[in-house]
Order: sequence, then C-alpha cells, then structure tokens
Amino acid sequence: MKNSLLQTKDLKKVYGKRDTVFEALKNVNIDIESGESVAIIGKSGSGKSTLMHLLALLDQPSKGDIYLNGQNTSKLKNRKLNRLRNKEFGFVFQSFFMNANDTVLNNVILPLKIAGIGRRERKRRAMEALKVVELDDKFKNKAKDLSGGQKQRVCIARAIVNNPKVIFADEPTGNLDSATGEKIENLLFDLNRDKGITLIIVTHDEELAAKCKRQIRIADGAVVADEKTKKGAR
Amino acid sequence: MKVTDVFRDANANLWRSKLRSILTILAIFVGSFTIILNSAINAGVNDFIDKQIENMGGEGYLEMMPTETYDQLAALMGNGGVQEYTEDKDVSNASPYIKDEQVERARALEGMKSFHALPSATADFATSDKTDKRYRINLNAIVPGINIDMSAGVAPDTSDDAPYEIALTEDMAKALGYENPADSVGQTIKIAVPSNLKCYTVTRRSECQVIVEAKIAGTQAPGILAMGGSRANIALWNRINEINFEGMPEGANHTFQAVADVEPDKIDEIKTKLEEIGLSAMSVDDEVGMIRVFFDAILIVFNIFGGIALVAASIGIINTLFMAVQERTREIGLDKALGMSNGKVFLSFSAEAIMLGFWGSVFGIAASIIAGNAANILAHETFLKDFPTFQLTVFEPLTMISIALIIMFIAFLAGTLPARRASKKNPIDALRYE
Ligand SMILES: Nc1ncnc2c1ncn2[C@@H]1O[C@H](COP(=O)(O)OP(=O)(O)O)[C@@H](O)[C@H]1O
Ligand SMILES: [Mg+2]
Repeated sequence: MKNSLLQTKDLKKVYGKRDTVFEALKNVNIDIESGESVAIIGKSGSGKSTLMHLLALLDQPSKGDIYLNGQNTSKLKNRKLNRLRNKEFGFVFQSFFMNANDTVLNNVILPLKIAGIGRRERKRRAMEALKVVELDDKFKNKAKDLSGGQKQRVCIARAIVNNPKVIFADEPTGNLDSATGEKIENLLFDLNRDKGITLIIVTHDEELAAKCKRQIRIADGAVVADEKTKKGAR
Repeated sequence: MKVTDVFRDANANLWRSKLRSILTILAIFVGSFTIILNSAINAGVNDFIDKQIENMGGEGYLEMMPTETYDQLAALMGNGGVQEYTEDKDVSNASPYIKDEQVERARALEGMKSFHALPSATADFATSDKTDKRYRINLNAIVPGINIDMSAGVAPDTSDDAPYEIALTEDMAKALGYENPADSVGQTIKIAVPSNLKCYTVTRRSECQVIVEAKIAGTQAPGILAMGGSRANIALWNRINEINFEGMPEGANHTFQAVADVEPDKIDEIKTKLEEIGLSAMSVDDEVGMIRVFFDAILIVFNIFGGIALVAASIGIINTLFMAVQERTREIGLDKALGMSNGKVFLSFSAEAIMLGFWGSVFGIAASIIAGNAANILAHETFLKDFPTFQLTVFEPLTMISIALIIMFIAFLAGTLPARRASKKNPIDALRYE
C-alpha cells in the first residue's frame, strides 16, 4: 500500500441507458505500484481500453473510485485532472493518434505546448525525446511520411517528452509487424527499467503480456486473474 | 497553453483548407471594405462641409433679416399660401427693415458674441490698373468674429476705422489682371459706387458714380458652399453705404440685414429668441445641412450593404468552423487527452474565427485605402477639379482600427457556436473515432 500509485475501489463503468445498458466494467479492484510494468490482457471487447481510460483519468467511472498516490481523483477539479494528465502521464495508442500533416517535431512538442512551455525550451526537450527513439534526424519530416514503426516511435517520444511517471499504451504494437513491434516493446521496457516509468500496457497479445512483470487478466469487464511473472522475466 | 501559441496555431490552421478560408475571408473582406470606404467618404465629406461652414463664418454664424421679409419672399414665390391682410403686418408695400429697438434686444441676448446690423451697400463695377475692362462686382461684408479661408494674403481688417480693404474671389482677382492670386495681394482696385439719388437726375450713369479705391487684402479659397462675392471690410462697406445714400433723408438709410456670431451650442435657443424679436435667422448649417443629410442617406444605404455582407460572412465563418471541428475531432480528442482544457479548445477555435475576421479586415483596410486614394485622384482630375482641398476620402487610423476590432468581435461571436461544440467534445469518443 505504501508504494501504491494507482488503486481502484469497486470500479464500475456502464454504457448506454435503460434498454441498451451495458456493464463494461464490473467491480474492478486493482492496485498498481510505482515502477511496475503491468499488462492488462483480455479478449477484444472485454473492457481493457475502458479500464485504461479510467485509470488514465480520461473518463469518469459510473461507480467506485480511483486513487492516485492515495488521493481520491473523483474529488479533483477538471483543471487539476488536465494538469495531471499533461504532467504525469504519457499516452501511446494503437492507431498512433498524431497530427499527420504536422512535422515530427511539432507532434512531439504538443504536450509541452499545452503545458505552456516556451518555444526554445520545448524544442530542446522534444529533440532530446526524439534522440531516445532515434528519430532526431527526422524532426523536420511530416508525420504522415513515416513508416508505421517510426510513427509509433514518434508517439513514444511524445509520451516521454514531459518526463511522465506513467505511460499508458493501448495495443502499442497492434498495427505493426512483429519485428517492428518488438523494437517498440523494447523501447517501452527500457524506459520502465532505466527511468522507472510505470508501464501500463493494454494488449490481447500473450507474448507481449508475458514480458511485463504483472498481468491483469480481464474477461467480460471483470478481473479474472492478477499474477506476477515468476522466473525468466525481464 | 500560451495565448500567443493559440493564435499562432489558429492562423496556421486556417491554411490547412486554403480555399475554404480564403472564400470566408473574401466574404468578410467585402463587408469590411464597404464599411471602411464608406467611413472614409463620410469623414471626407464631413471634413469638407465643416471647412465650408468655417468659410461661411463658422458654426456660430447667423444671418438675419426681418421676419416680414421672409413672409414677403414666401408670398412672392407662391409658397406662403394665402395670407390674410393686416395693417400692422403689411408686407405688401415698403420693404421691411430692422429697427433700432430690435437691434438692441438682439444684442442683449445671452450667448451673442457680436451682432452687426448692416446697412445696404451696392457697387456697380470694379477695375484695376492691369485691365481696361470693368467687371460687375457682387459684395458682401466681413464682420469681426467671422473667419474666412484665404487662399492668398490675409483676411481684411474688420475694425471700424481700418483702411478700405477687400478680399476678392479668385475669379475676380484673375479677371482684374492678376494671373496668380498671390500677385493681387497689396494691390489697389477701383470700385465704382452709385450715388442713388443723383442717379435719378443724370443721363449717364457714370455721372453719378463715385470711385472708391480699396486695397486687396487677399483672395478667398474657393468652395462650393461659400456664398459668392468679394468681401469688403466694415470701413469700406460703410463708405459705400454713405455714397449710396448721399443726399437722402436720414430715415431712408435703413438696415435690411444683420449678421451675428453666437455661441455654437446656444444657436437653436438664440434663433427662437430672435424669431420672437421679429428676426428670422439662418445658420450656415441650415444652408448646408441638406447636403449632409443627402450624403448621410447614401452612406446609410451603403453601410446596410456592408452590414448584410458581414452577416453573410458570419454564416460563412460558422460553416467553415463547423467543418473544421468535424474534421479535427481526433485532434481535439488528442489535445484534450494530453491535458488541454475545454476553455483552451474553445479559445483555439474562437481564435481561428478572430483570425478570419482579422485578415478580412486587414485586406479590407488595404484595399479601401488603395481604392479611396485612386478615387480621390480621379475625382480631382474630373468633377473636383476646382476644389483641391476637398479630400473625397479621409482615412482615420482610429476609425479603421475600431471597425477592424468590431469585425473581429463579430467573427468571434460567429465562432462561438462551433468553438462551443469543439470544447464539449469528449476525448474518449474522439479517440475511439476511426
Ligand atoms: N461509448 C460506448 N458506448 C457503448 N458501449 C461501449 C462504448 N465504449 C465501449 N463500449 C463497449 O464496452 C465494451 C468494452 O470495450 P473496450 O474497453 O473498448 O474493449 P477492449 O479494449 O477490451 O477491446 C465493448 O463491448 C464495447 O462495445
Ligand atoms: Mg481496446
């Protein structure tokens, strides 16, 4: 408990109304510690993304609470939530989510621009992040001209540019071939190991899940297993 | 996010759908161009009219004649209706004149700065050393407190005991042999003044004329509204009157008109009081007011056109931005996921609307200055040839900036609808949208 970063209490999420109500999450209780690498694994439609969105404070639960560093987030104002996401979290999505017509540099800069950081400082930090993903030579290129793997690396650069405590990755390798996917995975795990960034990876890929130190298995909106990788893990 | 970044990005975003933005800016441009050009013409015309009023004596200048004269003139011109005859208001016989008692009461009115009852004075012709020809001369008096706009020289000395001086019209100066108005300054002309009583008894008019010499103080700037005629100073005017009435009984030398300079803000009140005294007064504004009303009416019509163009442009802005919000759903979702507040999302779309208004106004200002100056040059080559001081369009920076700000505000208002929709977007829905 003392090192608890994200904790949920009886988390419920219901979509729709009356005839169409659908319980996407049912009483989820999990506890993620700082520095962990956690896989949220399950079949398509099981509620993984829904859970991740709640943990990332992108959405509000229908019932239950989320505690960040022991603080109940349902009490926080929008302003504070925006600041938390901007400063403490990094996001990587399956379908990249970037501004395709903008340059690589501008895509990486985005969180810093939102934070209101000055032009020179944010450029310097973005170039640093691009160096980590080995794309600093492509900073002037348009994002749409990159390959899939390169795009995802730009997204990782964007996710780490603000020195986050947690990176949320939703199917980060879902749109990539296995070789490129592995490179992305390695990047993420290096960040976890070297910088102590907590990694929360949503995936239906057992192999990727096995590389995490912990797997939270979801089926039909409920946690069905929560286990630590024993031996041989990274 | 910094506001400067918001506006810089908004401006960059406009060029993502170039054609759409340009068409919207074009619509705003039409409105801003019309309104800015109108305001410039309005300023030019008003400037000119104000100058003309100044030429004619200024805002506080009043010309008076007995009220009976008005009625008489009205009856003569047939638009006074059928008037009942009463002995004490006999308008059919002798010319009515301004009585001493009326002068005294008028002088005592509050706000009256100077009052001059002018006896009548007429001259036959003027000539000079420079010409053998003689020209009919139309005279007006210049009294203290009245400024006239001189194109050369200075205004005549208006004190009672000044030397005889005159301010000629430019045309008269030219006719009298002075090619340049400046050449005439300080020169002396001869004015032939009839001694009216004597004229009944002689066979040749020249036998009853007295020649008076007067110094040309300067020439008057031409104006469309200024009353015609050269202006004699009081001393010259009185001398001419004296000659006109030589040998006539004292009582025959009546005053038929008067001029006054009054406090401009009391002018209406004074006019009413003068009416009670029996004097009908006309201010310069009464005479030129019609021209102002006429121009105002035209400009109102054009401003309505400009306004309609702006309404259409606002609809264009709403439409353009709704399309942009739709296209950028994912982008908005990403911005919000990365911590952008609803307020900043609202601001970023409002900023785009404001930038549309900004560019529309900037191009409107630039084009109206170019068009206005071209029109000015053209006008001075044609119908304004004789009025070099009449600037058809006057561009006042403050007016243009205010108009631009108002247009940007209208654009902002139009942008609030789409901006609100953008700010209400849910980041999750936006991220799921594929
Ligand atoms: N906005 C929504 N409205 C209604 N149902 C939704 C909505 N979002 C997700 N769901 C449903 O909730 C369930 C879980 O979705 P999701 O968390 O995306 O699953 P996963 O990421 O595990 O594939 C799915 O059945 C999905 O159809
Ligand atoms: Mg999913």
